[in-house]
Amino acid sequence: MKIALAQIAPRLGDVGRNLELHLEVMARARREKADLVVFPELSLTGYTLKDLAGDVALDPATDPRFGKITARSRGLSVVVGFMEESAAEQGLFYNSAAFIADGKILHVHRKVFLPTNGMFEEAKFYAQGRDFRVFPTPFGKVGLMICRDFLHYGASYVLYAGGADMIIVISAAPGRGVAGGEAFETSRMWELMGEAVSYFSTAFFAYANRVGIEDGVSFAGGSFIYGPGGHLLARAAYLDSEFLVRRLDLTAVREARTRWLFKRDEKPDIILRSLERVVRVAED
Amino acid sequence: MSLKINPVFVEKVLTRFICDELAKFGFRKGILGLSGGLDSSVCAALAARALGPRNVLGLIMPYGDAFAAEVRDAEKVGRILGIGTRTIDIAPQVDAYFAAHPTRNRVLRGNKMARERMSILYDYSAREKALILGTSNKTELLIGYGTIHGDMASGINPMGDLYKTQVRELGRHLAIPASIIRKAPTAGLWSGQTDEQEIGLSYGELDRILENIVEKRKSGPELAKAGFKPGTVRRVMEMIRNSEFKRKLPPIAKLSPRSVGHDFLYPYDWGR
Repeated sequence: MKIALAQIAPRLGDVGRNLELHLEVMARARREKADLVVFPELSLTGYTLKDLAGDVALDPATDPRFGKITARSRGLSVVVGFMEESAAEQGLFYNSAAFIADGKILHVHRKVFLPTNGMFEEAKFYAQGRDFRVFPTPFGKVGLMICRDFLHYGASYVLYAGGADMIIVISAAPGRGVAGGEAFETSRMWELMGEAVSYFSTAFFAYANRVGIEDGVSFAGGSFIYGPGGHLLARAAYLDSEFLVRRLDLTAVREARTRWLFKRDEKPDIILRSLERVVRVAED
Repeated sequence: MSLKINPVFVEKVLTRFICDELAKFGFRKGILGLSGGLDSSVCAALAARALGPRNVLGLIMPYGDAFAAEVRDAEKVGRILGIGTRTIDIAPQVDAYFAAHPTRNRVLRGNKMARERMSILYDYSAREKALILGTSNKTELLIGYGTIHGDMASGINPMGDLYKTQVRELGRHLAIPASIIRKAPTAGLWSGQTDEQEIGLSYGELDRILENIVEKRKSGPELAKAGFKPGTVRRVMEMIRNSEFKRKLPPIAKLSPRSVGHDFLYPYDWGR
């Protein structure tokens, strides 16, 4: 299969304009024969929303704008980031990611870990998701995370234990630290952790970050894809927009799991029991 | 030493910031005050690279003949960068005011001059449809070494997260003339003034203290243990605390459930 990472710079708070951009990029993905195109975190709305969250939130099941993306996903899979407000939970805004395939929404992940410190204010404005789970797709089992979710490594573990063949992280990671090389110092952290998880999980690992600037903050770009077991397959430019397409040989998961037997020998039941004790002790 | 920067990458980020922010607000041109000093020279060089030299206008605004050497340096920077410059003597409007409200207080006179320059910049910003580029660096923002609504006023501030010593390093990368990089920084409040004399610390020492306080979140006692003079550290901490008002919009007295600045919270780049 062919995966495409859409390293774009959405316009802050302008869903209409961003929808156009999504449809353009999806048309390009189709032209380049990609099977899956991954947009970054909050790709339909921009990141620094604050009180705009309620104005740009939508229900993916019924919103006609979101419907256009779903409708145009025939023969194509799309991961899109958006601000979610469902009919069932009015007034609650989730930082969400949808996996859409062939005209259907297969899964919506709501960001669990909302960074709220220093420059980050997500929990001040958004509701918190409560679940990590894998779901079947045309390319095997996939697990989704949104930006900070991935920096809590239990989240990756759940997706791995759940049998993910591909872990996808969508991100709006601001760059920080300029003492080093040709990228923000924080980019190195994502790359290292992505590489490590591709080893731990023996699964594909795709990281789609955005670019552009909001309120003085530069998003770092540098989206990347690792094959199972630490194979860097592609990395996009830092800071600048890019449409990154790579062919993935999905048999690499089997190959990695016959070489590294972590998955076969995994003991989620023991991990769970131990974790339950940790939580109990912490509560005592 | 974390004051180290990769100037090539910093230039990339800051030129993108300038281009992006101008485009979002519908500007093609940038304007700034050129003093002949390091900060405004570096900012002009960044703007020239970001927007093209013909889209940058530097206003040189001396008070009479008091700053002849600075004017020559500013003109030289303008020539080297190929940007437009215009010299406007602020003496008539400053003198008119102080003729009616005389004072010999140099700080009062200096602040007034900084605000006259600001008002000219804003007027030219509207005339030329050019966004004002601020030239305040992180060191002076932190200690409040600037005139509020004077040189601290701008549309965007590309250099506000770079310490003075980092601006110097960026200046070397941007090929700012060595004479400008080496000369003693001055706020130009009066002739012969230098920042380091007035602050009572070298920028090197000040930046090392600020780095410890701000980047590493060290306390006074920790700094003393690391060998910094406690009195000096205390003074720097006081400068930071006493100038918070220069880094904020004024507080609004809250009455309603949703007030500007308190709970009416939108991004600066709203819809852009």
